[in-house]
Amino acid sequence: MTEPASHVDWVEGEALLTDETGLHARPAVKLTKLAKSFAAAVEIRAEGQDRWVNAKSPNAVMKLRAGHRTMLRIRASGEDAKEAVAALAGLVTRNFDG
Amino acid sequence: MTQTVAIVIVSHSPDVAKGAAAMVRQMVGEEVPIAFCGGNPEGGLGTDVGAIMEAISSVWTEKGVAVLIDLGGAETNSEMAIELLGPEKAARVVICNAPIVEGAVMAATEAAGGSDLEAVRATAEEFQA
Amino acid sequence: MNESDLIGRMIDLAAERIAAHADELTALDQAIGDGDHGDNMRRGFAAMAEERDTIAALPLSEALKKAGMVLVMKVGGASGPLYGSALMAMGKAGGTDPCALIDAAIDAVKARGKSDTGAKTMLDVLAPVRDAVAAGATPAAVADAADAAAEATIPMRATKGRAAYLGERSIGHVDPGARSSAIIVRAVCEVLEES
Repeated sequence: MTEPASHVDWVEGEALLTDETGLHARPAVKLTKLAKSFAAAVEIRAEGQDRWVNAKSPNAVMKLRAGHRTMLRIRASGEDAKEAVAALAGLVTRNFDG
Repeated sequence: MTQTVAIVIVSHSPDVAKGAAAMVRQMVGEEVPIAFCGGNPEGGLGTDVGAIMEAISSVWTEKGVAVLIDLGGAETNSEMAIELLGPEKAARVVICNAPIVEGAVMAATEAAGGSDLEAVRATAEEFQA
Repeated sequence: MNESDLIGRMIDLAAERIAAHADELTALDQAIGDGDHGDNMRRGFAAMAEERDTIAALPLSEALKKAGMVLVMKVGGASGPLYGSALMAMGKAGGTDPCALIDAAIDAVKARGKSDTGAKTMLDVLAPVRDAVAAGATPAAVADAADAAAEATIPMRATKGRAAYLGERSIGHVDPGARSSAIIVRAVCEVLEES
């Protein structure tokens, strides 16, 4: 279930959620907006859950309910996939820039 | 800068409308045009067809306008206002069936990425707390 | 009375009656709505009265459209678009045949309110009024039919508008929109009776 279709090449990364309340509304909005700025397909998964969700969907990202100190897996596929993963991981690591 | 779908917030209360718009600006940023109106033509609680038309016109874009409303009369008055804009503009304005504050934030988030009006509406309407 | 006098007199009397009954309408609306119907209608009809001479100088169809637009812009609640669309649709329908005009109003209210008769709304007054007119009732009898129809909304259960949230608890009260419709119908009928 968690495996991507075989023909898709994913660039993967991860980052730790340090926000006290986890991936709540405001961080979720920031993450979604950033993901949308890339052409690549971008997905995230909360450690401990087996479902990848579309990082460009604010509803899907909020529904993850990823809590404090959850490791967030990030993967992207497409021309700017590398940049997308690096940018999203950076945003999470910087705790969503306050 | 690429154009985005615009957001209009229509509440019975001017304070609610203003507050919801402020939340959208803070959470989503400035790139999505947003207008709001609240209160009846005398300034009491209610909605005002003329003010709704003005709000929509003030952020008008060919990409379209997503309208977030609160209760009862806000819907009827928004539908009336959209109709009075004429069929051409009316075709590019939708009322989102979503909670006003959460729907506005979700709609603006979706709009910020350049999504079209249908996608913006869908994202607002999919929202579940 | 010529047409212009008739229109002016209808506006005067409707605005006067709505103002006189504003507190009653608000009380009815406090029971099953959000308590602003009296204020909203008073404001809308006061605005119409302010433009009385302009409206009365127009041919009937144009007068109806203009009066409807005033209500749309000034009422501030759902009743603005409902009454406004009704008058504007009558103006659009054209002519002076009362049945055709009332039919146009009923269709407009149904479309605007996404509603129908039996849902405890103004339609439950407008439909019986239409039937009375079609049956050839005198204006006085039509006004009585409107009052009776408003009273008949008491046992109905609301399924539209704010009152719908109350479900069963909406039973036992006159619908405010039905009441304001009956008040306006009576004002119009009294003017027709005088003429």
